[in-house]
Amino acid sequence: MFTIRVVDGVARLTGRLDADEAPQALTTLQSLPGPLTLDCSDLEYISSAGLGAVVQTYKRLNAAGQELRIVNLRPNVRNVFTYAGLIRLLQIE
Amino acid sequence: MEERRFARRTRLESLFEFVDAFVVRHGIHTDAAFDLRLALEELFTNSVKYHPESREDILVRLEKDGPWVRMTLQDFDVHDWDVTLAPPPDVDAPIQTRVPGGLGIHLVRHVTDSFEYRHRDRSSTIVVTKRVEP
Repeated sequence: MFTIRVVDGVARLTGRLDADEAPQALTTLQSLPGPLTLDCSDLEYISSAGLGAVVQTYKRLNAAGQELRIVNLRPNVRNVFTYAGLIRLLQIE
Repeated sequence: MEERRFARRTRLESLFEFVDAFVVRHGIHTDAAFDLRLALEELFTNSVKYHPESREDILVRLEKDGPWVRMTLQDFDVHDWDVTLAPPPDVDAPIQTRVPGGLGIHLVRHVTDSFEYRHRDRSSTIVVTKRVEP
């Protein structure tokens, strides 16, 4: 189960962003204007497929000169970003 | 030891439920449980992606052995493709130049302690272990 709820430029990610959920997540994220904040307070899990959706969203916004912020990562989810080398490349707070 | 066969098109939720039941039964810490789920998703989806020739279910086995968990994925009627030899992605590359591929196995290496592959009689077996207790 995974949901994205968007309010005033903040997309709140909830649940597990796995390979089954990533395609729909990417479709939703790609439809959102920048600047954009991903609030990951309730993101319980992410895999390489989920990271791919985040990276694609970053690429689109960055190419348009817009900002993508990622906030409130849980420790286990943060570890996955770290292993992928994304902690120092994305704007993660 | 617990094992189950999963259809190649199964929802990942079924895999997670299998792992969740195992970790609850064995009192495995939530951090280790997270890593087991991640390793299983990456290995399962990788097998499905790189073995389109097979229509067979994939066997997943979980075993607790002292402080270790051993996870085995057996895939049937597949060609020999040693997943442990997959080249690592360049995780230092700028995001704009990154291309999809290789990251899942890279994550598996990070969250497990050993990673083995063998192939025999058109059946591939992947075994990973993870220490889940001090």
